[in-house]
Amino acid sequence: MSETRQENAKPFDPYESFRGMRDKYLDAMSKAMIDTVNTESYAQATGAMLDYCISASAPFREALEKSILQGLQQFSLPSRQEVAALAERFTNLEMRLDDLDAKLDRLLIAFSEQKTEPAARAEPKHSPQSGKRA
Amino acid sequence: MQSPPSVTAEYFAYQRRLRSFTQVLSSKASIAQTPKVAVWTLNKAKLYRYTPVVPAQKRLRIPLLLVFAIMNRPSILDLRPGHSFVEFMVSHGYDVYLLDWGIPGYEDRGIRLDDYAMEYLPRAIRKMKAESGSEVFSMLGWCIGAILTTIYAALKSDEGLHNLLLLTAPLDFSNRSNVTFARWTDKRYFNVDKILDAFGNMPAEMIDYGAKALKPVDNYITNYCKLWDNLDNPRAVEAWHAMNTWVTDTIPMAGAAYRQLIEDFYRNNALIQNKLRIRNQLVDLSRIRANLLTVIAEGDHITPPCQSEAILQKVSSRDKEVYRVPGGHIGIMAGSAAHRTTWPHIEQWLGARSH
Repeated sequence: MSETRQENAKPFDPYESFRGMRDKYLDAMSKAMIDTVNTESYAQATGAMLDYCISASAPFREALEKSILQGLQQFSLPSRQEVAALAERFTNLEMRLDDLDAKLDRLLIAFSEQKTEPAARAEPKHSPQSGKRA
Repeated sequence: MQSPPSVTAEYFAYQRRLRSFTQVLSSKASIAQTPKVAVWTLNKAKLYRYTPVVPAQKRLRIPLLLVFAIMNRPSILDLRPGHSFVEFMVSHGYDVYLLDWGIPGYEDRGIRLDDYAMEYLPRAIRKMKAESGSEVFSMLGWCIGAILTTIYAALKSDEGLHNLLLLTAPLDFSNRSNVTFARWTDKRYFNVDKILDAFGNMPAEMIDYGAKALKPVDNYITNYCKLWDNLDNPRAVEAWHAMNTWVTDTIPMAGAAYRQLIEDFYRNNALIQNKLRIRNQLVDLSRIRANLLTVIAEGDHITPPCQSEAILQKVSSRDKEVYRVPGGHIGIMAGSAAHRTTWPHIEQWLGARSH
């Protein structure tokens, strides 16, 4: 009995009071931050920061792209644009195949319908005759 | 009262917890485990059919197609065994299909919402019809997936769509003060062309930051505190691990589709005003006649409830319902209460309309 009571008893937790305090602080911070990010000034600031980062990195990015392109040309390797164009052509090809698949499906359905229709039409004519013959 | 544990024991317990904490953070959980077969592919997109577990005569006649957003992985719909929406629907006799848009590469930067809604989706639906043998079908769209399914439903209203389910659908952008993303992407502050010129696609990291920055403290601090506090609870750790695996599996968004999302939706609110043009056709919402269920998450920061309500007044569907669930954008479908609230409601609504 006392063992079960001991098992069920909550173990001593030295951080419990700290956790309560932390949660209250985080809740308050969360509300404050949600309000902050939902302001025009936050939108303006992040927009400006992003704009600056992209503008500042543009010359380096362009230089890097140019040198990679030159390197690829030296080794007679396709550029990123060329590989992308090839991938687009593959997708177009896949679409054509998908169109063909759709047409084939329709043909198969039409063919099976044509096959079953005469049989269904013929059934009432032939079956009584065959019945008589039997 | 028990005596306080010794400093050494406390130190070792702390070390053990720290080890499990790092292990959970640095590993990936096994998610999306429900058996499925890929029945169609196009570019990066794949259509999966989940292996039925209910005998054919007991299965529901109308198949269900799940369409998730284009900037996250759809594995959230099949998070982990025992807590998976897909598994739940399959076990209730549904013939479930999932359209996975795949991960766009640089070569896909030109893919627009037009292509997703009018090229990929109709082709996947054709294949689903052929596989299932049913000309009518149900479709569930979640987040951006709901935008795509709504466009499809309006433009292809005679193609057999019987039931349309929209989950946390960002369709109306008129209430700009409530939609934080609309404020951030305002043309005065946000230069979408500059970003796409630099990167081609919208980088996964930026999308991830945008979603997390809506609730920065919750996503960057409280979330990890929750894991630390629950390290002794294996079920809680398993759930956290699976969710974290999905959250960290971020993907970029096709550049042209992103530009369209910002300009046509967030800035011009074209869809709800029946002004959106897709492949030169006007998307007229009044052409939607399918039975409609809109699921709204009351605590959604990504798609506030005001964004999903107006659609009900715009469609011609006679059978339409709005279902409000307490919870967030993802929590209503993948949270610990989803199997008691959202899933049964969706299943009951759909079950009554799937014969």
